[in-house]
Amino acid sequence: MMRKFKDDPYILLTSLGLFISLAMVAFIVGLIMVRGLGFFWPRQVLLVELKDGTRYLGEVWETETVSEKQPDGTIKTDHKIQLKIGNRDLYGLDFTWVEEKDVVRREHPPAATVFERLEYGNFYGMMRSLQVGEQIYRDEVERHAREALKIAHRLEKKIEAKQKALNELTAPLNRLQRELSLLKISDEAGQPRVVQKIQRLEREEENLKRRIAEKYRRLNEQLLQLNQEKQKIFLQVQAASGETRTILLADVVRFYQPNRMSRWQKIQLYFSKLGEFLTAAPRESNTEGGVFPAIFGTVMMVLLMSIAVVPFGVLAAIYLNEYAKQGVVVRLIRLSVNNLAGVPSIVFGIFGLGFFIYVVGGSLDQLFFSDKLPEPTLGTGGILWASLTLALLTLPVVVVATEEGILAVPRANKEGALALGATRWQMIRQIVLPNAMPGILTGLILAISRGAGEVAPLMITGVVKLAPTLPIDGTFPFLHLDRKFMHLGFHIYDVGFQSPNVEAAKPMVYTTALLLILIVIFLNLLAIFIRNRLKKKYKASAF
Amino acid sequence: MKRKRSTDIRRKFERRDRVARRIIALGGYGVIISIAAILFFLFYQSLPLSFGAKIKEWFSWTPGDRSDQILLVGVDQYQEVVYFLDQHGEVEFLRMKDRHILLRDSLPLEPGEKIFSADRGSLLRDVFAAGTDKGRILIGEIHLQPRFEGSVRRIVPSLSVEQTFQAETPGDSLPAHIEKVSFRRTEDGLELLAWVNHAGHLFLRIYDPEEETTYRYDLSEQLGNLPITTLTMNYSGETLIVASEQGDLFWFDLLDPEEVVLVDHWRASGVAITAVSYLLGNNAIVVGDAQGEVSEWFPTKNPLQKTKFTLIRRFKPHRNPVTLIAASPRNRNFLTVDSKGEAHLNYATTDATQLEFLPSDYPLQAVAFAPKSNGIVAADSRHRLGVFRLDNPHPETTLHTLFGKVWYEGYQKPAFVWQSTGGSDEFEPKLSLVPLIFGTFKGTLYAMFFSVPLAILAAIYVSQFAPQWMSRIVKPIVEILAAFPSVVIGFLAGLYFAPLFEKHLVQFLIFSVALPVVFLVGVVIWKQIPEETRTRFPRGVELGFVLLVVLAAFSVADLLAFPVRETFFAGDLKQWLYTHWGVVYDQRNSLVVGFALGFAVIPIIFTIAEDALSNVPKSLSSAALALGASRWQTVRRVVLPAAAGGIFAGVMLGFGRAIGETMIVLMATGNTPILDLSPFNGFRAMSACIAVEIPEAPVGGTLYRVLFLTALLLFLFTFIVNTLASLVGDKLRKKYARF
Repeated sequence: MMRKFKDDPYILLTSLGLFISLAMVAFIVGLIMVRGLGFFWPRQVLLVELKDGTRYLGEVWETETVSEKQPDGTIKTDHKIQLKIGNRDLYGLDFTWVEEKDVVRREHPPAATVFERLEYGNFYGMMRSLQVGEQIYRDEVERHAREALKIAHRLEKKIEAKQKALNELTAPLNRLQRELSLLKISDEAGQPRVVQKIQRLEREEENLKRRIAEKYRRLNEQLLQLNQEKQKIFLQVQAASGETRTILLADVVRFYQPNRMSRWQKIQLYFSKLGEFLTAAPRESNTEGGVFPAIFGTVMMVLLMSIAVVPFGVLAAIYLNEYAKQGVVVRLIRLSVNNLAGVPSIVFGIFGLGFFIYVVGGSLDQLFFSDKLPEPTLGTGGILWASLTLALLTLPVVVVATEEGILAVPRANKEGALALGATRWQMIRQIVLPNAMPGILTGLILAISRGAGEVAPLMITGVVKLAPTLPIDGTFPFLHLDRKFMHLGFHIYDVGFQSPNVEAAKPMVYTTALLLILIVIFLNLLAIFIRNRLKKKYKASAF
Repeated sequence: MKRKRSTDIRRKFERRDRVARRIIALGGYGVIISIAAILFFLFYQSLPLSFGAKIKEWFSWTPGDRSDQILLVGVDQYQEVVYFLDQHGEVEFLRMKDRHILLRDSLPLEPGEKIFSADRGSLLRDVFAAGTDKGRILIGEIHLQPRFEGSVRRIVPSLSVEQTFQAETPGDSLPAHIEKVSFRRTEDGLELLAWVNHAGHLFLRIYDPEEETTYRYDLSEQLGNLPITTLTMNYSGETLIVASEQGDLFWFDLLDPEEVVLVDHWRASGVAITAVSYLLGNNAIVVGDAQGEVSEWFPTKNPLQKTKFTLIRRFKPHRNPVTLIAASPRNRNFLTVDSKGEAHLNYATTDATQLEFLPSDYPLQAVAFAPKSNGIVAADSRHRLGVFRLDNPHPETTLHTLFGKVWYEGYQKPAFVWQSTGGSDEFEPKLSLVPLIFGTFKGTLYAMFFSVPLAILAAIYVSQFAPQWMSRIVKPIVEILAAFPSVVIGFLAGLYFAPLFEKHLVQFLIFSVALPVVFLVGVVIWKQIPEETRTRFPRGVELGFVLLVVLAAFSVADLLAFPVRETFFAGDLKQWLYTHWGVVYDQRNSLVVGFALGFAVIPIIFTIAEDALSNVPKSLSSAALALGASRWQTVRRVVLPAAAGGIFAGVMLGFGRAIGETMIVLMATGNTPILDLSPFNGFRAMSACIAVEIPEAPVGGTLYRVLFLTALLLFLFTFIVNTLASLVGDKLRKKYARF
């Protein structure tokens, strides 16, 4: 009995290890959850007035308590509030610290309005008047402004459509002009053949110009008119410091008055913001708006990666288990798989950069895109190369999971098939592959989750902070493997560490991080679920 | 008939089977090929670093039978046209591909007047000054202008003479020979001329275009009438170095043209100094003497804060007196030539003599680098011109510069430094991998300190003591945690934990002390619970206990933080660390990285260690328990030794992951490549360095290849670690397979 008595401290110690590990996990996941999910919840807007008469209007972002020992031995405690005051065009900074002891008045004015703008971040202030066209509203500004906002957005859409039409109209001309200017500065500009070509192109240019002139003029006029209309819908908004600003409603994404919103309205707003986050493009150097291009890029990339890695990994796993004889080759393959799993991701990245991009891509450029050189087409980072790099990186995951699936196929089934006269390939196709499918699927899912979370190799093989175009669009050849793309993981790094206004960008980073880990956790849970089903299935059918 | 069809089908299937077999085998071998390709490619990219320099003479020319001395040679940037200036002031431009003299021009000399000495005034332009035996100095410039006509490039040569003047001859009415002239024209147009006449007088003349003033000095007296052999100035016109026949060097400061002062003089050699030249960067000089010794000097501060030229390194000596030194306009290469015409190509940073060659059978009179430093022009005493193609892509790296201490310009002593790019073209790349390797291992070590105990303790608890339901929950959680994107951990570390640690540093320190103390106290209290009650506790109640312990330790830390900070650390721990220990606290430091990286590594170690522990055959532990061992004794004496290999493998794999982890170290450290074990500052790891610098590195350049070498090293580190782990794992499996 004495001995058992001595046991306890050690057992307690081991449990401490587990507890701290789990506590950290819980803390970190909880932190991301709270910060990530809380970002869209409209906060109360606070108006503070300081002793010196300064007034601030903004959201309470953080509070801090600092205790300090004074020279005379007394302890002084200060409370500070961090306010997000927005109005970057007025104050220059989004945030300010206010000392609690300086505050003489604090209230939540019901009319305080938050404007989310396309530029310069949020604006906090009180609406004074609204002008739509020639009409000026001074009463019930908010209600009218809501209507006006819709009108402004409709106008904006029209302008975009016209602009697009205009671009499409001039696109052939631009192409022609580009070709011409390239020819004129090329080395062979003096040769008669080229001179002829230039003259022909110049004639074509003239023709084209003439042909589109009328339409061009009309579109331009319409654009001008719409733009003028747009300029006439604006609000006069007064900031806390007293200045009045004119805010064009076309530049406003949305506005709301959190202090008089009901819970239900807040929930609506919350989901509308969440929807924007998931479906819209980023604004303001990625610190506002949505992450749709990043989600799209991530999905595209892991799809391409899967196309490359799954066949490769499955073949390797089948070879290992069904064909290869135990010996040097198998041991070499296993060693390779183990080491591929252990090689740092950045090494894959630098390999992808040096080999795929510069060697393979560079050579392909020489062969097929030599007319565009020295501007590289495939010889620069792009979604294809990034996917191939990640395919190499995730290969071991697929191999190991597939092997597990193959090993779970009962020997009796396989030998039965062979005994009935099936060739080995027939046996593999009819017996092994269908039964190993859950294993392959597990491998695929794990590879996708790894690929979605990986950043280091991507940032040197084709991920960019802001891709102007998606890798898929309506112009031929629809799928653009040479394009650079955005990625959720890189988005986190870029917005959190490279953006000029990190403090304002933080919520965005937390939300993106939450999205990313939700994706990864979901995929992993799915993999675990499938694997457990696999285990059960074969436990039941084992004989 | 039917039979035939069935064999046909059979054959078809067999053919398919063969094809499938081949494709599948390809998949299998593909894995080996992939890893071999990565390894090979990394080797292939980093190997050229060790190739060294190659030189080849590809053009030589003798203009008839002339023996007048050549004073200056040069070539254009495309190496199409060479020029030379001879002692009669003749300048000839020669197109090399058809040996056609493009232009002959001459300096306006008086009849019979001869040039004694000439000097190029800039590393980037062909401006020069020539001093004659009639005491005149001429300043001119040679232009080798490329013109493009369509795709055809033509070099258009010309010579312009800008200035001629009669040198001062104080107290001596006869015009004096100009024995040796040194000339500089800086980018701002500042013109400096220093010359020695036949009587050994040293004159200096500075023209400041902004003030439109000329300053004239006679510096002879400050030299103590020592006979002067040679002199040079740096290309930014700030210093004048004069060498004497006794081996002394005199250092004049020209920074203030109104007051030129002799800063220092010292004996640099036991014999006469025969050649002195500044290197690119305007900081270091190379000195060659009559015994053939070659040494590099640059100013450093001695302990008394006095700046002095210091002997940095010696290069391979010549067998004969050094006569010429030419500096490369692109890097720290320089060429030394001795009186027998033997030339050494040295690189200053690496103290390597890259090449030794004999450009000519006769002594050389003038040498120059091509503007892109990819060629050398030399003229010998027989008036023969030789042009050499120099293939020297990576002079900056040797084994020593990559892994050893190097004394870089501007440093007070040799050091390990990584600084790959600088602001100007004159930057000296510092490519020591030591700070990066150190950083990688520093981060890894801190991470292992943090994660190994926690992970192993947790694994022991889950596999041995925890109730079934708990391990069923914990294991998948940890597995998912292993897939946690590192960029998220890195971002939290950098943006949340780093400021948090900084703000609550005292709390964290107290907590790390308080936790064990509170834990011990807790154990004592725990023991007060009567034995019978305790044995009736359900399994897993330990977690509740440690929850209380951790909470208690937390409150202790929070309560004590303020008084401790005020009494011991004068109200500010960071300040206190700095004043008492000289430790600078960076917000993103090794503690933060250790925590974050450890967090990333825990799941790996835990999973493998837990597997190893629970795979220890039940028969072993049951036997121990049956023999009367307690639960802990069984774990300690039976289970742990049996699972040791697996645990080791887990630790190794965790180690491997920590070495290669990129995003966490990139985001959670300041990425400063310093060598300092202090936990309160950051580091730069190899992986992060690759990620940051490879996008900017020119393809095929030295930095590019050095980064590939870094990747190769990383690959090899992890290869060794992984192989070790799998070997140990295999051995273990064999050992316990029999139970």
